[in-house]
Order: sequence, then C-alpha cells, then structure tokens
Amino acid sequence: MTKRSVQNISTIPDEGIDKGAQRLTPDQVSRVIRRHLEEEGGARLKVYTETCVHCGLCSDACHFYLSHDHDPKFSPAGKVKQTLDKIIRKKGRVSIDFIKKTAEIAFTECNLCRRCVMYCPFGIDVAYLMLFLRRICHKLGVVPQYIQDTAHSHAATMNQMWVKDDEWIDTLHWQEDEARDEIPDLRIPLEKQGADIFYSVIGPEPKFRAQMIYQAAVIMNAAGMDWTMPATPGWDNSDMCMYTGDEEMVARLKKVHFETAMRLKTKRIVMGECGHAYRSVHDVGNRHLGWKMSPLPVMHAIEFYYELFKDRKLKVNQKYDAPVTLHDPCNVVRGGGLHEMARYVINETCSRFVEMHPNREHNYCCGAGGGVINCGPPYTNKRVVSNRVKADQLADAKARGAKTIIAPCHNCFGGLEDIVKHYGLGMEIKFLGDVIYECMDKE
Amino acid sequence: MVGVAFTVFLAGSFFRLISMWRLAKKKDGLIFSYISIFFALRSIVHWILPFAGVSMRKHPAMTIVAFLFHVCLFAVPIFLSAHVILFKESWDISWWRLPDMAAEIMSWSVIGSCLFFLGRRIFLPEVRYLTSLSDYLILAAVAVPFISGLWSYHQWAAFQVVMIVHIISGEIMLMIIPFTRLSHMLFFPFTRGYMGSEFGAVRHAKDW
Amino acid sequence: MTKQKHNFCLAIEFFRKISSMKQTKILFYSVFSILFLLVGAFAAFSQEDIETVNDSAFENQTRPPVVFFHDTHNENAAIEECNACHHMFEDGKRLDDDDSIGMECSECHCSKMKDSMADLIRVYHLQCGGCHLKQKTGPVMCGECHRKR
Repeated sequence: MTKRSVQNISTIPDEGIDKGAQRLTPDQVSRVIRRHLEEEGGARLKVYTETCVHCGLCSDACHFYLSHDHDPKFSPAGKVKQTLDKIIRKKGRVSIDFIKKTAEIAFTECNLCRRCVMYCPFGIDVAYLMLFLRRICHKLGVVPQYIQDTAHSHAATMNQMWVKDDEWIDTLHWQEDEARDEIPDLRIPLEKQGADIFYSVIGPEPKFRAQMIYQAAVIMNAAGMDWTMPATPGWDNSDMCMYTGDEEMVARLKKVHFETAMRLKTKRIVMGECGHAYRSVHDVGNRHLGWKMSPLPVMHAIEFYYELFKDRKLKVNQKYDAPVTLHDPCNVVRGGGLHEMARYVINETCSRFVEMHPNREHNYCCGAGGGVINCGPPYTNKRVVSNRVKADQLADAKARGAKTIIAPCHNCFGGLEDIVKHYGLGMEIKFLGDVIYECMDKE
Repeated sequence: MVGVAFTVFLAGSFFRLISMWRLAKKKDGLIFSYISIFFALRSIVHWILPFAGVSMRKHPAMTIVAFLFHVCLFAVPIFLSAHVILFKESWDISWWRLPDMAAEIMSWSVIGSCLFFLGRRIFLPEVRYLTSLSDYLILAAVAVPFISGLWSYHQWAAFQVVMIVHIISGEIMLMIIPFTRLSHMLFFPFTRGYMGSEFGAVRHAKDW
Repeated sequence: MTKQKHNFCLAIEFFRKISSMKQTKILFYSVFSILFLLVGAFAAFSQEDIETVNDSAFENQTRPPVVFFHDTHNENAAIEECNACHHMFEDGKRLDDDDSIGMECSECHCSKMKDSMADLIRVYHLQCGGCHLKQKTGPVMCGECHRKR
C-alpha cells in the first residue's frame, strides 16, 4: 500500500523538469555529468560515497523516511543509492528519465537540513551530495519550474521575487507611513551612510509580508538603533540559487549584498528571520567569494533580539500569555547554534514555554526548507504528506499545552502553516518578531 | 606472504590517504581552511565513546555490538598470543599478549557481531535496501579469519587446511582495507573531523 | 617396545600421506581420532615411551605440550650427531665437539634478566620449526605439534 502511494506522488509533472528533459539527448547527459564529476567531484564526493558502509543509521534522522512508514527509499543513504551511486557507477551514462527522477529526489525529497549528519557515525554530509546532484540538474537544465523562476529573478533583479527597484523603495515608504500612524517620529532610514546596522530582508518580505518590515522598524526605533536599508539592489539577502545549484549566481548575489552593506559603510549586517538566507550569508555565499567567514559581521534576527534583551534595550509591557513552543530551524540552529539565544528571547517575552521533542540541533525539519517549498504548488501535497512526523511532534507539544508555534524562519513558517492546516492541528504560528512586537514597550 | 599483505595494507593505506589529500588540495581546498583541530577532536571523541551521541542512544543494541565488534576486531589479531609469538619468531619483537580465554571470547564476539550485522542486513528493511553483494562479501571477509582462527585453535576437523584458510583470509582482509568500504577505518577521523570542524567552528552546533 | 612405537609412527606418516587426498580426509580424521583415543589409553600404561618436550621454565603452559618421539624423529631425520640439536655455544661460536645433553634449553636461553618467556618460546619454535622449514619436512603449524588431547 505504502509503495503504491509513494509511486503516485513520485510522478509529479513539473514543467521545469519535463520541458528541460525534452531538450536533452542521452549523449548530452553523459557528457555533462562526466565533465561535472571530473571538474567538481573532489575528495568529499569520493570519500563520502566510498566509505558509507550502508549501515542505515541515517534513516532515523530523516523526516521523509519517518513520515513514509519507514520506507527505505526515503532514507538519506537510500536517496543517494537511487541517484548518485548509479550516476558514479555508470560514469554518467544514465537515461533522461533517470535524470528526471534524480531531479525530483534531489529537489523535493531532501530539505538539506543536515540532521542525518548527526546520525551518521562518519559524518557523511548527505546535504552536500544532494546539492552535488542539484548542480548536475542545474547544468542539465532540469530544475523544478517554480524554484528556477526564483533563480531567474535573482539573476535579473538581484532579488528573489521580481521586485523592481522603485517598488522596493515604495514598499519601504509605505511601511514607514503606516508605522508613523502608530509611532509618529518613526523612520525607515534609507541609504544612511555609516550606520551601525545594515538591515536586510528576503524578497518575499516586501512582496507578501511587508508588515514584517514595519515590525522591524518599530523594534529598531524602540531600541534606539542606528540602522539603515539600501535603496538599491543588494537589499535581498535570500538565495535560491544556492538551492538550484547555480553557484555562480550565489557568488554574484552575495557580492552585491556585501558590497551594498560596505558602500553604506555600515558596521554589521542584521538579517530578518530567515534561515536559508542566514546559511547563504553566514556559511555558503562568503565561501564562493573567497571569504572564510563573512567579510563583515552578520547577525540573524534571533541573535539581534537576544542582544537587545540582554542589553536591556527593549522593555516588555506584558508577556505573551498563550503557551508557546519553539521550532528550531535547521539553518540557524544546526547551521548557527542560535537555539539558546532563541530560548532566552522567548523567556523574556513569553510567560509559558513548552519544549517540543526532539528539539535544538535534533529538531525535525519543517519540510519546507532547502528550496523544497520553493518548488511550488506541484509538490505541496507531497511535502506535507512527507512530514507527518512533524505533525506528530507538534501535536505532542499541543497536548502538553502549547498553543502557539514560534518559527523564526520564513520557510519554516510557511512549511508549518501547511502542516498545521493539513493535519488540522489548530495551532497559531508566529515569528519571534511578531511576539516581540506584540508585547514590547513601543515608546 | 605476511610481508606482502602488510606491505599492501600499509602502502595501500598510505597511497589512498596521500592521493585523497592531493585531491582535496586540488578540488576541496576549503577543507584545509575550515578544519579545526579542537572541534575535530571534539566530534571524534563524541563518536568513539559509546552512547555519547543521540544516534547511539537510539540504537543501544547496535551501539554495544558495534563497539564490541570494533574493539575485538582490533585487539584480537594484534594481541593474540599465537600472533605475538609469530612476530617474536620472525622479527624478534614482542608485546603484551591476551590470555587465550579472553581472546577466545573476543573472537566469538566478533563472529556474533558479524551475525548481528548480517541479521540487520537481512531483516531490517532500511539496511536491506542499501545492501548489495559487496556488503555481504566484506562482512564475510571479516568473519572468515575469525571463524577459521577459532577452528584452528580448537584443532577441529581438517584444521591444517582451515589454518591455511585462516592465513589467506586474514591477509586478504588486511589487503582490501584500503581499497574497499573497509577504508572507513582510514577516513573516519577525516570525515568526522571535518564535519566536527564545520559544525563546531562555523555553525556553533553539536554534531552528535 | 621400540618396534611398536616405530610402527605407530609409520602409521601416522601413512595417514598423513592419505590426508592430502581430499575425499579420504573425513575418513582419515575419524580414524585418526579413534586411533588417538587408543593411543591415549595405551600411553597411560607406557609413559616412558612417549616423550613430550618439557622445560621446567614453562610454568603456566598455554598450549598442549609437544609430542616428540626422540629416537624415531632422529632415525627418520637421519640425525647422527647429538649436538645437531643439543648445541653448545661459547662466545657466540658454536662448538663442534661439545654438546648440551642433559641441560634444559632454558638454562641458557632463559638465563638473562631481559629474557622473557617469549624468548624461550621463540628459540624452541626456531629450533624445531626452523629446521622443519629448512628441511621442507615435518610439522610447522601450531596445532601440528601442540596437539590437543
């Protein structure tokens, strides 16, 4: 039964994959893959694929595996076996259908959350291997349509959501106007030279969640921070190209982002509540530009809020009363170690906190990250069905009293929304900023 | 024969490590920038202590068997009194010897562990799915020297022939270490250490 | 009595020869085991005929003592000189006209402070096994000499 249902989800039509595959010839496939293996397949690829002893211990790490009734096809090593192992063994001489299948597995059956790295005794980085496959797909032009569209947007506009330059400035003015109704002297300082903080957000904030910029401005204002945002491209810290395998674009995007912060002579970058952007700015993009760490200090919102509360820059009027639970996003917890800071902020702002289990580095992925939610509507059902284990985990927290889920990451927020809705959990989801905004002293 | 086996093992291991080092220098230069001895050791220590990590606590049977297996797998061939005496005879060097009784129990442990691993490969779907012929062969390559060793020790039927099997299978096992998945013995400190460094120094998180 | 002993050895030699043929191997071992039991029982009554290699320095024996028929061995191996095995050294030189009959190997080979049991074991193994290897005859595997009873 399970097998059949899996088969059904596995043949999801996707314009990007299908049209891309139509343009390929088998000869092209093997030529591109062989060249890729030769050029970019290094010691990590070799060691990871050659030392895995197929012990299966990684399985328990993966929410796909756990949610699909322990179907071994969804275990981390199982996904590598179906795709990369064959590609390497056949030296790239694989069929076009095989590439389509590989693209689906690499793009929609792995969130690159790296939980399995903590369950593999050797520390084999399956996320790296999946990204290696995604880059092959990128080079072959077989990428799910929706995420490829965001990558195109990155290339054309330097932001993820086709936001035009004037629209960006307009949005900021609009949010400033709105906020001034509440706090008359509030400003969203544009292009301020030498400010302490360069505040950057992801493309979807001005596009869909403009109130988050409003809230950030209120927090900055109340804390008396010296901050600014740019009026030029470079304001977007997000990076879907990191997930499509378009590494050249990763470098371009981060270059513009860092250079904009430096053009304004700011001292540090503070980012909104986004996990993958943090991964890109703090961990990945800097490497593509030849920086060991980011060229100027980078802070995720969690870290920034922590600093504000630690330094007593923000005061809380009344603590958030509904019991909250915290979802630890992979990119800021396994990828940034910010879990204790998040708990500190929650402790400062909420009266009741319920841990979900597992938590911190061992938290289950939201199922949306790693670009999976960005692969769009064709995969929504699969994504939600593939994370039943998250629903169980949330239901358990709910049973112990939690009413609100705090998800300090855009992708997690979106992914959890879908899960809460699909499984009828009836829980509210909030960003950390939402909670702070609600209960802070705004004067 | 033994000389050949040791040479292949040592030279092969050396060759694999050096060529991987060079490949890493050429293609994965970042490893050298991000490796941090402290965090590498922190991770390795957590993974060579039984039950130090969540994964190990989740699979207590596997953890106990895996540790027992690896300890015995190393200790028996090196400290078995018959082997030490052979080294003494050939090269006039000797070291501490295991009491025969202990060596016997440990050898049975290795065989038992191999059966446990075989059982996992056959009965656990997630392991069976990953298993191919080579995995069974490697398991056999490890088990045969111990089975034949015990056989010869007890001088069961045809032990002279089994002794030959013991010697040859032992040498085969030694020689294939660098060139098969058994090379995890060589690469474990590097893969774990690299991941430990990335998790510790860059990502400020645990990896166990 | 010596003749009996001799015949027994010839029997062993005979069976060893057959043992190289695979089909008869199992047969051989069953016959051999029965024979062994018989000999064991027999040995209880004629202790002085069967000799084992013994050295008082081996206090805790971890392997069965080596069965060694002195006269038969020397007859088969055509060893005339006693000091072929019972050698005597002086200042690192082997003396052709002296021997060490009546002495235990450990009297020389385990006499120095640094000598360990492993050293004594080593010289025994080299003395017997070394010659067997050189002559390309005689047992060399552990269990061939250290037979379990």
